[in-house]
Amino acid sequence: MHISRLLGAVAVGALIALPGAPALADTTLNVVSAGDQNMVDYVNNYLGPKFEKMNPGVKVRAVGTGPGDSGSQKIYEKLSAEQKAGQNTWDIDVAVVHQRGAATMVNDKLLMPYRNDVGAGKLVSRDTAKNALGANVDGYVLPMFHSQIAFAYNPDLVKQPPKSFAELNEWVKKNPKQFGYNGVKGGMSGVGFVTGWVAANSGIADKLEKGPYDPNAKAQIDKALTGLKEFNQYVVMTPGNAGTLDMLNRGEIAMGPVWVDMFYTWVSDGKMNPKIKLELPSPGLPGQPMYYVIPAKAANAALAKKFIDFAESPEVQADGIVKQFNWYPGIDPQYVQSKLDPAAWNKLFTDISPQDLSKYGRPFPLSEYFTDIVEGYERVVLK
Amino acid sequence: MSMSTDLAAGIAPVEPESRVRNQARTQRWAGFALITPALTVVALFFVMPLVLSAVGAFRAADGGFTLAHFAKSIDLYTKDIVFTIGIVGLSTLLISIVAIAIAGYLTLGENPRGVALLRWLYRWPLFIPFVVAGQVMRTFLAKNGLLNHVLIGTGLIEPLSAESMLDWRGIVVAFVWKQAPFVTLLLAGAMASLDRTHVEAARNLGAPRWRVLFGIVLPQVRGTLLVGLVLSFVTMLSVLSVPLMINPNSPTMMTVDVAYRISTLSDYAVANALCLISLLLAAVGAAFYLRHAVQKAEGA
Repeated sequence: MHISRLLGAVAVGALIALPGAPALADTTLNVVSAGDQNMVDYVNNYLGPKFEKMNPGVKVRAVGTGPGDSGSQKIYEKLSAEQKAGQNTWDIDVAVVHQRGAATMVNDKLLMPYRNDVGAGKLVSRDTAKNALGANVDGYVLPMFHSQIAFAYNPDLVKQPPKSFAELNEWVKKNPKQFGYNGVKGGMSGVGFVTGWVAANSGIADKLEKGPYDPNAKAQIDKALTGLKEFNQYVVMTPGNAGTLDMLNRGEIAMGPVWVDMFYTWVSDGKMNPKIKLELPSPGLPGQPMYYVIPAKAANAALAKKFIDFAESPEVQADGIVKQFNWYPGIDPQYVQSKLDPAAWNKLFTDISPQDLSKYGRPFPLSEYFTDIVEGYERVVLK
Repeated sequence: MSMSTDLAAGIAPVEPESRVRNQARTQRWAGFALITPALTVVALFFVMPLVLSAVGAFRAADGGFTLAHFAKSIDLYTKDIVFTIGIVGLSTLLISIVAIAIAGYLTLGENPRGVALLRWLYRWPLFIPFVVAGQVMRTFLAKNGLLNHVLIGTGLIEPLSAESMLDWRGIVVAFVWKQAPFVTLLLAGAMASLDRTHVEAARNLGAPRWRVLFGIVLPQVRGTLLVGLVLSFVTMLSVLSVPLMINPNSPTMMTVDVAYRISTLSDYAVANALCLISLLLAAVGAAFYLRHAVQKAEGA
């Protein structure tokens, strides 16, 4: 698996590095992706070759701009510069961006509405296809996949995992130093836990997700965070997203918030005790999609739509997104299930059922609230 | 600087005055022309970003002057600033102890095999990047990590009393492990170039080795030790990978806060303010360094 990926990468590298080689492709589809390296690998090693086979004369080239919102920010800056320079065609055909990035790009008219032009546009069902952290992105985006934060726990040590944040608060007092998370500076699984805590304990969960923004809500946020400060006395702080997984695997903690896709990848790579289980507590933990978007003046817009339509097809979502990369599908899971063998389907949905996912899989708060929460965490909890 | 004045003074009596002046001027311009590319690179890629970052630390969202970013830095990160000074200060102290011990043994050790082995061994961490040191410590110092396994296996501690050292202790261990060889290298070099007769005279008169080290050798290489420690201090101040991998939670080092302000909140202003504070800390080290350099120049 790894060797074939490596060979694939080398082959692609060699192809790019050979200036004397005859031009094999007439059209190059430029895909630029924010996010971790696995997303670039996904396009270059999985999606691209399949699409090229179906469309002779087309070459798919993907580059990454780095993880986190700053990765999307780089794509935004490039498109914005091309817009300001008044160029007629822009050189990104398909971009993969985070929610905050998509909201800004739609706002600045950098994107093209395309959902109704592609067949797969009808297969999406979640609210995230229309709403990105409070911003209306209806028509401009299709979710590539959803990733979700959930509690991972060791069933040997935790017979009955707490089902809600309130139960967790009791549980840590009975089992001190058995729950671990990575604060707000060590990666998004910790940030997601904190926003989930605030949503559960501030009484304004809906407002945090849907707006409108109210600066006075800071008082309620800070009050919820005061509870978190007390909670923190009974928990272990872990070094980063991977740090939580590491400590779970070594048995140093019994429970902690993790990214579901990262967790499954670790299990399938043999880096994680396969006995560890997942659960989504009430009233929920945040998750986020990555979006496929098409820049307003993409040079190969028609081809870009075809590419996204292919990427959102139930077959690709089943085999590529779910089976090979352990993400939750971007389209409605009911279209995906029939394309998967039960084992692969069960692997993703054994611990967290699709019902739980739709009930307790929350979006992140609006960006203004998000800033208030993480800054409040520094002010109230850390100081 | 002193060379050019010497040169001018040496030439002056034999040449007519105006020609000398012209020649000196051409030489001066030629000199400037030669260093222009280097100066441009320094100005463009080091000085300008530094100035921009400093300006950014004082600029409000509307472009006006403000101290709000510093107020916020102090409000949120005082603990981390103190923590940073503490960690780096303690590490510097420990590095000096380790470096003096190793360099002292290399200079005064009487077992040639022991000296050769130590000389070969101590340099290894020099070639290991900080990020790798952080990663090694992460598995070495964890609660169920290698160190505790060894301690439990040898019966030194009970399994239940094993605790994770992935906090300030982990950062200090990683820093000392990584930087002590660097200071040792400088110090051992300086010690090796000392006049051996002093050492031998003291030994002949019956001084034990530790007295020779602290009474004779160390006072003569004090300057080198100081320079090594100052350079380590400034290096450790700027390391992001080690605290990020070992202990990115509160309290943590300022580098983590800077990275966090930028990557999570796109807040360059407070990051700039924090950088400027960190620069002030480094300036304390630089002041020591300069004072030593000046003393040395005056002595020479």
